Amino acid sequence: MTPPNDKIILTEALTKDYELGAETVHALRGVDLVVERNEYVAIMGPSGSGKSTLLNLIGCLDTPTGGRYWLNRQEVSRLDDAELARIRNREVGFVFQTFNLLPRATALHNVELPLIYAGVPAKERRERSAVALEAVGLADRMHHRPNELSGGERQRVATARALVNNPSILLADEPTGNLDSTTSAEIMGLFDELHAKGQTILLVTHERDIAAHAHRAIQLRDGRIERDERRALAEAIR
Amino acid sequence: MKFWEGIWLALLQLRAQKLKSFFTLLGVIIGVTFLISVIAIVQGMNRFVREDFATAIFGVNTLQIHRRETVQVGREDVEKRRRQARNPFLYRADADALRATVPGVWRFGYNSDAFLPEVRRGEFRRRNVRVVGGSEGYLDLQGWDIADGRAFNPLDYAYGLRVAVIGSAIAERLFPDRSPIGERIRVGPHTYTVVGTLKKQGGLLGNIRDASIVIPFPAYRGDFAVRRDVVDEIAIKFRNTREMDAGRLEVEAVLRQRHRLRPGVENDFAIESATQLLDAWQKINRILMAALPGLVSISLVVGGIVIMNIMLVSVLERTREIGIRMAIGARRRDILLQFLIESATLSVMGAAAGVVFGALLAQVVRAATPLPVSVAPWSVAVGVVLGLLVGLFFGAYPASRAARLDPIVALRYE
Repeated sequence: MTPPNDKIILTEALTKDYELGAETVHALRGVDLVVERNEYVAIMGPSGSGKSTLLNLIGCLDTPTGGRYWLNRQEVSRLDDAELARIRNREVGFVFQTFNLLPRATALHNVELPLIYAGVPAKERRERSAVALEAVGLADRMHHRPNELSGGERQRVATARALVNNPSILLADEPTGNLDSTTSAEIMGLFDELHAKGQTILLVTHERDIAAHAHRAIQLRDGRIERDERRALAEAIR
Repeated sequence: MKFWEGIWLALLQLRAQKLKSFFTLLGVIIGVTFLISVIAIVQGMNRFVREDFATAIFGVNTLQIHRRETVQVGREDVEKRRRQARNPFLYRADADALRATVPGVWRFGYNSDAFLPEVRRGEFRRRNVRVVGGSEGYLDLQGWDIADGRAFNPLDYAYGLRVAVIGSAIAERLFPDRSPIGERIRVGPHTYTVVGTLKKQGGLLGNIRDASIVIPFPAYRGDFAVRRDVVDEIAIKFRNTREMDAGRLEVEAVLRQRHRLRPGVENDFAIESATQLLDAWQKINRILMAALPGLVSISLVVGGIVIMNIMLVSVLERTREIGIRMAIGARRRDILLQFLIESATLSVMGAAAGVVFGALLAQVVRAATPLPVSVAPWSVAVGVVLGLLVGLFFGAYPASRAARLDPIVALRYE
């Protein structure tokens, strides 16, 4: 079975267990989730609710214990390590709370990294990275290293890196967790802009006002979806 | 391009921590320095022995015939020395017979020599001088070039004239103020006319020649010979080694016949050439070259273990980086490759430093000694390849540790 074109994410009874010593921890207890193209989804929930586990599975950093998962019409729940790496490279763009840039590389080089692993030739790589940095408003900071950039600028570099390979989905894990409120608003503004241009975004956060940017909020509790509410489109766009 | 990225990263690492990198690579640097310099020096000694030393004593493709051995290779043999002390003298007639019968002779000469306490011109004197009575062709055979004036001519020999060609050390001492050509000097109790001077030779053996006076054999025979017609040395030069080897057999046959030696009786004369000396040197050489790989590999193994250690620390320090790379699409083999390239680059840089240090050391030895030391290109290649292999071998374990990391754990690593 192949899901229809417009379903970017489709999971079916997704479970994940961890062995913690002699005990088995059920981090996810059967999650059914559908995310369509150009949706803007916030995942919320208290710590231990399975947010991170779900994000890792969706981002193909981990494989589920049970259930099935299609990402952009491809079943990825049974792929091996090398194939998962390819999916992470082509289909997923990560933005982390702690930015996770390479400290010794310039902004441009950081953005180039996914293209290096995709095997893109050097010249094209540089051009595409420059375009991606321009798109997040950092055209004049390309040759700066992360420690020469502000927190907001670093998160913009990370966002450019996440998008440079045109992924199906942008996954953001507490993207404003390390930023002050002004800069947070700036980054969320950037996300809104990307969404308006058609990007599918999945955001993990525990802050209500950050989640308010999304047009759909999923509440997790004890490894299950507790609530899944869509806001009116008008309200979401505002 | 991932390849260049790896090399670029390794070079950044080197630049960021110059001192640490130096100590990391010390083992490899020492190993390769040792390899390069020892090979350069041994080859330099080789060339020196082959081209300068051995041939300076015996000449290229030259047989020297003496009453007894002049050069002893290996352990002193007292019994043999005593036996050779009873050997008969060689005479001019022996030399003439050899010249007439030995095939393939290119240059031929004989000589006798004596050491005199001094030579003198007025108040100028030079002590401890070697006077050589050379046959026609002697200077030519020895390859001694005239600096000033002339060599001997047939008339000097025919009339037994008291003429001399003097070494540069004697010329400098006796004639500090003027040209020696045409001047008279006192050689022992006799007066000789200087007709030529020899080019300065210098160096290990040249010093003796620079303090020599050469006179025609007939004059020597009359003025200095203890036993007339005895020649101390007969020298035969051939065009190549093959002809020399053939000539050696003929010389032996002629002399045995003249000395009426029956078959089975040992030679009562000595035929020597550079070959003997070279054989002995080859033995020493082989021992040196056999010990070299052991010494080099010890330091390379030690160096490799240090590199492995540093790479393990590096993998730990950069766990987060590895996680990031995996999250954005690096496969395990990309990570493996990155760390392998990094350790190989480090190690090759160490080897390159070793090549530079080794070459410098070789230059120092070259400047300080008469040895023609020069770095062998193949040893540079061997050094660099060894560096590469050490980097790959000892980088394999740290690299596989890096590649086996779980991306989720690595990303959360503080």
